Amino acid sequence: MLICDDYLIPTTLAEAFAAMAQHRGRSRVVAGCTDTFPWAREGRAGDVEISVIIDISKIPELNERRIDDRRVRLGAATPIQRFLDDASLGRALPAMPRCAVWFADDQIRAQATIGGNIINASPAADGTPCLIAHEAEVELAKDAGGKIVRRRMKLDQFVTGPNKTVLDEDELLTAIECDALPGYGGSFEKVGHRRSLVISLVCLATLVKLDAQGRHIEDVRLAIAGIAPKPLRLGDVETFLRGRPISMERLERAADMPVGLVASRTRQDYRRDVVRGFMLRGLINAARRAGASADVLAPELEAAYA
Amino acid sequence: MARKRGRGMAACWYGIARTATVDRAAAWAEIDDGGSAKIITGVTEIGEGILTVLAQIAAHEMGVKPEHVVIGDNDTARAPEAAHAGASRQTYMIGNVVALAAREARKRLVECMAEVWDVDVGSIGTGNGEIWAENSNHRIPMGEAVSIAKNRGVVPVGSATFGTDTTGLDAVDGAGRPWQAYVFGAQVAEVEVDTVTGEVQVLGIWAAHDVGRAVNPQGVEGQIEGGIVQALGQGLMEDYKLDQGRTSTSGFAKYILPTSLDVPRINSIIIEDPDPIGPLGVKGVGEPAMVPTIPAIMNAIYDAVGVRITALPATPEKLLMAIREKEQRERQMQAAE
Amino acid sequence: MPDIRLEATVNGRKIARNARPHQRLLDFLRDDLHLTGNKEGCGAGECGTCSVFVDGVLMKSCLLPVAKAQGATIETIESLARSGELSVLQKAFHQAGASQCGFCIPGMVMAATAAIRANPFADREEIKERLGGNICRCTGYQKIFDAVEMARDVQNGRLPATAFADIDAEAGDYIGKTVRRIDAPSKVSGKLKYAGDMTMPDMLQVQVLRSPHAHARIVSIDTSAAEAMDGVEGVITSADVPGEDGFGVFVNDQPIMARDKVRYIGEAVAAVAAEDPLTARRALAAIRVEYEPLPPVFDPEDAMREGAPVVHDYAPDNITKHIPIRVGDVDRGFAESDLVVEETYATQAIEHAYLEPEAGLAYVDHDGVVTIVSPSQNITHHRHMLARIIAQPISKVRFIMSPVGGGFGGKEDMIFQGMLALLAMKTQRPVRLVFTREESIISTAKRHPSRTTLRMGLMRDGSIHALHMTMICDGGAYGLSTEGVMRKAAILGAGPYVIPNVRVDTYGIYTNNTPSGAFRSFGALQTQFATESHLDICAERLGLDPFEIRRINAMRDGAVTHTKQKLGSVSLTRALDALEEACGWEQGAPVSRGNNRKDLDRDDIRPPVALGARFAATAKRQAAE
Repeated sequence: MLICDDYLIPTTLAEAFAAMAQHRGRSRVVAGCTDTFPWAREGRAGDVEISVIIDISKIPELNERRIDDRRVRLGAATPIQRFLDDASLGRALPAMPRCAVWFADDQIRAQATIGGNIINASPAADGTPCLIAHEAEVELAKDAGGKIVRRRMKLDQFVTGPNKTVLDEDELLTAIECDALPGYGGSFEKVGHRRSLVISLVCLATLVKLDAQGRHIEDVRLAIAGIAPKPLRLGDVETFLRGRPISMERLERAADMPVGLVASRTRQDYRRDVVRGFMLRGLINAARRAGASADVLAPELEAAYA
Repeated sequence: MARKRGRGMAACWYGIARTATVDRAAAWAEIDDGGSAKIITGVTEIGEGILTVLAQIAAHEMGVKPEHVVIGDNDTARAPEAAHAGASRQTYMIGNVVALAAREARKRLVECMAEVWDVDVGSIGTGNGEIWAENSNHRIPMGEAVSIAKNRGVVPVGSATFGTDTTGLDAVDGAGRPWQAYVFGAQVAEVEVDTVTGEVQVLGIWAAHDVGRAVNPQGVEGQIEGGIVQALGQGLMEDYKLDQGRTSTSGFAKYILPTSLDVPRINSIIIEDPDPIGPLGVKGVGEPAMVPTIPAIMNAIYDAVGVRITALPATPEKLLMAIREKEQRERQMQAAE
Repeated sequence: MPDIRLEATVNGRKIARNARPHQRLLDFLRDDLHLTGNKEGCGAGECGTCSVFVDGVLMKSCLLPVAKAQGATIETIESLARSGELSVLQKAFHQAGASQCGFCIPGMVMAATAAIRANPFADREEIKERLGGNICRCTGYQKIFDAVEMARDVQNGRLPATAFADIDAEAGDYIGKTVRRIDAPSKVSGKLKYAGDMTMPDMLQVQVLRSPHAHARIVSIDTSAAEAMDGVEGVITSADVPGEDGFGVFVNDQPIMARDKVRYIGEAVAAVAAEDPLTARRALAAIRVEYEPLPPVFDPEDAMREGAPVVHDYAPDNITKHIPIRVGDVDRGFAESDLVVEETYATQAIEHAYLEPEAGLAYVDHDGVVTIVSPSQNITHHRHMLARIIAQPISKVRFIMSPVGGGFGGKEDMIFQGMLALLAMKTQRPVRLVFTREESIISTAKRHPSRTTLRMGLMRDGSIHALHMTMICDGGAYGLSTEGVMRKAAILGAGPYVIPNVRVDTYGIYTNNTPSGAFRSFGALQTQFATESHLDICAERLGLDPFEIRRINAMRDGAVTHTKQKLGSVSLTRALDALEEACGWEQGAPVSRGNNRKDLDRDDIRPPVALGARFAATAKRQAAE
């Protein structure tokens, strides 16, 4: 059970920082707040008394949405559901809709925010590896003597481990920026114990851009979660594949590369096994959606892995 | 092929009503003002649809419409004992006793009207809220008949008790008559196994179950469909975990239940082998519906990937590891040759 | 603690009310506005029973702080049939038989409403995806999908409105007809009240203190600080039980609250009745219990060994019940068999997971009758036991069954009604207890986990000549239905087959784990999982089709069971024949033909789920535009 004395909804960043300073040590910042009540229950945190909750979801800056042909900028309070109901956003970030459709369910997606998901840094947070594959950067803000100062960093540097980020105590995550990748094919592979509202064991985000004939890989991005304390960008694999023609031989070699990175606390054998299969499935699905030519992506091949 | 299909089947049997002890139930019935009816019995509706079944039986026996049957609340101070919800017993025990009580209530009314119309009791028919005498002009709404009866000092009530002729088991060899009604069934499952992840999807189940006599076919299907999905949950994903007596699965985030995306298309085949003892021929289905499901699924998985899971649940990790072990054994055997 | 002044529009009505900052929207709707159609099935956003529309968007109100509803337009289940007529979707749920216990149904109707609003042409796969956040434990979802498709078709004119109609019964012949469920309208509208929705004037809220130890002696319990707290009206322990303490199903081995020792983590130790739940919880924290831990036993086979900790003094070997079945001579039978196959099978403990967590009210009425209102599956038995426990004549004890939001055997045990009765008697005020989901999972009965060793001897022709089965079940800390489970397992375990030599032993064992109790198909599910898996193993070895090996051994009319009972008509082969035909089964020994089978992929199965059905719908729409 959660008990709190005050629930504040600041309408500007300055107001939010003032509240955080005033109630330092006895407040909690929330955006979507989908994780707070489930956390304050038996079996997890139990009964929790927090003096002040500061809800930043109504600050206009945190609800920004800007898409151009190179970059996408989303406020941290953007609900996850936007990736499913905002068609141009889905086109600009091709793997995100695939990821979002696996994220909890419609009701929770309408409330949960991108920023909240990132800050929680749950090892099972699916959004993070997917954003990393889109070259996501986070923008952080804090109040420095009455002036708002900001810093930016890559998302894969921001998350440092399970439930750990480099966010300062008096800092807020305000926006996420990433590459707009129209024309890329995206895929998101995930496994859990059932098909909906499921906590993932391993998940892989893949983005592929092919040449006009659909035979050469012009660009590829891969990010994986569930195999290490934090999500990993598979830079080595990308380098191996970028600029090369699609061939099963090359894809198979690429699929073997991340297997050695599996360093999870539990179920290592299972994750190693799944990683290899996901690599192939993810690359094949993304390539198909990117318009791969039928003669390099033979149907038997697809059936073997898809 | 990454995705492998397979089919498996299993049979089952089950006993209806309380095990190895005498079961019993009672009911009171009344054909009431305006052509309605009252049924009072210790019925425990827990979603299986027994209230509707009883309304149908009462309507059928008393000649009224089901929507005019009022069933009293289950209250120890207001209703006669009908024992509990469980053992797939309510349609059998309470359905049968309601039929008997309803027949007694009808008998009172029919005898009254036979006198009023001066006809044979056997020539009186009832149904859909009306009462009539064959080969005559007599046909009036049920409500009118009740009024006539009451004006003659007769309230059309009935009561009944229904018990089973069953015994306990011998302490040494278990001999005895634990039930007087048995049901039989079988199911086929079709599954798809994803050999990349070990995930199993159950795509279809065909379920043939003897229910004695189906009072409400849609209700029977509902029991079969619900039971199958519960069994599927146990087969593939549910697991109440304890470590030193403490559970790590105290909420639905960790205790995984089947969602709308996990369930097969279920095709029910209702078999009717009427019970010769009870007045209606009904038996039961709530529990038998889920007995063959898990072995049918496990046998289907074996058909798909040649791996047998003997310890539940068949989670993706367990299945994938078993598939890999099998592949390794086969490679070793080939190498040896 | 400053209140929030909440101004919003709820079901078309403008409201302005004070709310507490930590209230969830769900609490505000249910407790302050008495809109109890929306339920708390889990409180953690997992089950969907709390789903409501906030500014037209479906959300889980158990996750929403009430302040987030400031200025919003809220629609609950009660808004759908506001004019008095059920919505098209609600009518479809009624017509399709989509409601069973009804507890998940308001939330499910809301999710279905959201699905059709989002895509009025959604196909079955997209409908399933959009219902993915709502759990149903009773229906298996099939008729829910049918209902949503029906509503979609009526709305789009593909089905006439007359699709929603009563059946026409000839001359009153109602048996064998699909009459619509008479309780469905109350469930699809959210009007039916379950125990957790009921309130009485002057009512107190109850919370229960539960044991943190699996096995420990209770040295002392000091309730004085709790009793002195403002707002606390009564605190009880086993010392407050006036009569013969002990309830159960076959053996009355369980006290209302722990007496002398605790036997499992989660066992009730004390209970508090206070003006509100928060005060009651604070009072629990003020109760001082001194425990002396005892060595626990968690594995049933360990519990059966010499020198194991004894859970109940009356059963020094920790055996709750052993049921034997003996037919013929299995040793000779195996010696005579052509093929002997042995295997071990294990099933796990399972939670009932009815969507309605346990809840109940109790009061002493004007005639001094102690009255309990609860979703009990066996009020007759409960009344018997409670009268003895509270030392009242049975005519002064009354059990009323409230609508049951799912049972499956899990609401057969009288695990909280005794505490309610005592608190009602002590405070002379109505009292209510509503379990949290976690409390329900931790403290109530589970399906018996089992370990079964099965040995079958068969002749070359496929007939089973001998069967030896031993099943050991962890019965947990109290007996509950263990005896019945062992008995049913023993009677049915060998399957509906004619077998000349049978030896079955089932053992239910006491341990310090969560008690195991009744769960739909108990005993049969565990054993027939073993037997039916085993038959396929044997079929493969003998080159027999799975249907064939069962036909060879099937009981037929007049068969004698393993308890030596002669049966009348036996429909097994009828069921097998009908099944084989209905599914178009391809015959053959079960040698893992898999993808090579020719009977796969017919149109009476569903397509595999890949997630993303709504993408296909969007693509189709975009292509059409």
